[in-house]
Amino acid sequence: MSKIEKALNRARDGRGNLQVVPVATAGGAPSPGTAIVADSGAHPETIPRMAKNEVRLLSAADLAQRGIIQPQHSEDSAVQVFRDLRTKIIQQSHGKNAVILVTSVSKRCGSSFIAQNLGAAFAFDMGKTALLIDCNLRSPSVHKLLANASAPGLTDYFENPGLDIEEIIRPVGIARYRVITAGRRREVLEEHFTSEKMKHLMDTLRRRYQERFIIMDGPPMSNIADIRILSDLADCVLVVARYARSTNTQIANCLDAISEKKRLGIIFNEEPRFPRIR
Amino acid sequence: MLPEQIAKALITESFHSRRLVVAIFVIVNAVALTVGWLWPKGYTASTSILVDERTIIQPLMAGAAVATDALDRSKNAREVIFGRKIMDIVLEYGGWLKDRPSVGERELLIEDIKKRTAISTVGKNILRIEYRDADPERAFRVTGKLAELFMQESIAAKAAESGAAFAFIEKQTQEYQDKLTRTEQELKELRSSTLDVRAGEGEVTTRLNDLYKRIDATMQELREAEIKGASLERQVSGEAESTAAISREGQYRARITDLQSKLDTLRLSYRDTHPDIVQVKQQIQDLTDGINAQRLRREQTKGTGRPEPDEAVVNNPIYQQLRREHSQTQGTIEALQARITELQRQLQNEVGRGKRMHSSDARLAELTRDYQINRDIYQDLLRRRENARVSMNMDSDRQGLTFKIQEPVSLPQAPVGPRFLHFVLGGILLGILIPIGLLYARLQFDPRIRVGSAIVVPHKLPITTIVPHLWSPRELRGLRWELVLLSLIVVATVAASTAASAIRFIEVL
Repeated sequence: MSKIEKALNRARDGRGNLQVVPVATAGGAPSPGTAIVADSGAHPETIPRMAKNEVRLLSAADLAQRGIIQPQHSEDSAVQVFRDLRTKIIQQSHGKNAVILVTSVSKRCGSSFIAQNLGAAFAFDMGKTALLIDCNLRSPSVHKLLANASAPGLTDYFENPGLDIEEIIRPVGIARYRVITAGRRREVLEEHFTSEKMKHLMDTLRRRYQERFIIMDGPPMSNIADIRILSDLADCVLVVARYARSTNTQIANCLDAISEKKRLGIIFNEEPRFPRIR
Repeated sequence: MLPEQIAKALITESFHSRRLVVAIFVIVNAVALTVGWLWPKGYTASTSILVDERTIIQPLMAGAAVATDALDRSKNAREVIFGRKIMDIVLEYGGWLKDRPSVGERELLIEDIKKRTAISTVGKNILRIEYRDADPERAFRVTGKLAELFMQESIAAKAAESGAAFAFIEKQTQEYQDKLTRTEQELKELRSSTLDVRAGEGEVTTRLNDLYKRIDATMQELREAEIKGASLERQVSGEAESTAAISREGQYRARITDLQSKLDTLRLSYRDTHPDIVQVKQQIQDLTDGINAQRLRREQTKGTGRPEPDEAVVNNPIYQQLRREHSQTQGTIEALQARITELQRQLQNEVGRGKRMHSSDARLAELTRDYQINRDIYQDLLRRRENARVSMNMDSDRQGLTFKIQEPVSLPQAPVGPRFLHFVLGGILLGILIPIGLLYARLQFDPRIRVGSAIVVPHKLPITTIVPHLWSPRELRGLRWELVLLSLIVVATVAASTAASAIRFIEVL
């Protein structure tokens, strides 16, 4: 047993929301000797089921590799920040679930990182689930969390009427955390978000699970049209600015494009801090 | 931003730009080491010269001798010392010419010596000469030589200046003496040549007036005499005509009448051929011819205007009286005309004399003025020449300007200026301060946000969160290696500086 597995076991014993699994292979098939804790039945998802239904939970090393926070690193400032952010959002939503659009003031500000880790932070809470939708169709990134990156996603759902919602929601390897990737087809981008099917999708997702927080990883503000459409679908919008890249003017312009009621906050990302060398 | 916020932001920014910070640190240290290594060691030797111009003679000769102006002494000293003459001697003395430098190299050497030589004044009369050289021995010798050459050259220059001043004033004095002599000679000649016109202007005017009056009076007399003469001439002519007419034609006509009576009587008795009748006729004819001749003569006289009186007229006493008066009047007229001519000649002479008198007066005034000016200048120059002579003698006897070494030059023991250690420490300090300064400047002027508190938006937002960078294991490994490497670079840089300092210290020992 490796040192990481031992550490994960300790964390599982203490918190009970993580399971020790080996690293998933690229094709999604478990490697020999893997302790699979998957129960991929067609039953509706509930929190206990979601916790049990993970195909395979990502190891700590995988999570670290993918840039996802881990609850056992509670002393890590990034974990603390995301937890705090989650709490603030829950407070703002008054106990209801919410659809949160995460966008950035410009490209490469790290909005996908924020969206993914915000989802992870919601998943920390055993009473909450998180669903991350990759709405950045031009430059998607959520599929990188999955072992099978070619799985059907949002555009496949729009293009293929026979595709059910359940088929595009993918477990990511973190308990209570699901994702919908951007999909394989990337043509006709904006029209998808204005379609009735998109509204239907969002309504279904929102209504189905009261404890589920839906996070939309949106494109940067340079795609202003997409942002306007997506912000209409969302309950609130988080704007991501990046250290040494964004200016106050950019942030102000970005906020101006968003309806006042839906402005939730600004996240100043990537502030350099000396890491705790473990 | 608050100071602690700035400090925190600087730390954050330093960590963010750690490679740049280390690179600047290394570059600054390398530059400082290089400059410090190449910085020439300088040993400075100095000497002070007391320049004394206040000797005992000066008060005695106050106002008579002019001492050299002491103002801006350091500028004058610089001109003297940096002159080609002294610089060439110093080049030779300092051993720079052993390698037989070319002309261009000599110029560079001289410029180098000039840069390393400082001349200043301390107080009023103390001149300080400082010379810096890498060789303390040469600094000592060259400084002493510079002071010595400066004193020699200054004294010689002062003497030469005084001599040149005296020679100049002497030459000027001679020129003005010549001018004065020439002016005197000209005055003398002018006075000699204008003796005849030395009379005053009033006398000439009186003479001229007198002459004008006399001419006018004579002209009046002449006009009167001419009128009288003309009248007499007309009278003389009229008396002759009347006398002649009465005497000769009347006689002829009375004779003809007699002869005509006699002819008429004879015709009564004789025929015309009778010899008496023929004779009488002949007589009448002769008398008639005589009358005609008289008429013709009178006519002719009228044409020429000159009566030709015949004897009867001439013998007429009135005529003779008139003729005598006429002759006297003619004589008077000629005498008056001669007098007028003489008076006019005298008038011309007086006018010419008056003109010459004015001309000579102007010339005399000019010459007198020149003479006075030249005399004044000459006398002034004579005084100045004597002053200059005294000044020259003072300088030749070294009484005008004396130099005394106030502080003799000593062999410098320790180098001056920044030492290698200063460069090393300065390099390390600047290697830290320059990146911090640059980062601070970037923090102040770059609009891109580097501090969360710097986010200023016009809208009130419920959430503002700062998310730190999440380090992945690979990044952490890379960061570890990077920090080790950067630390090694910094340590190596400091070690290199320390080692260089140690080498330099051993060299000095």
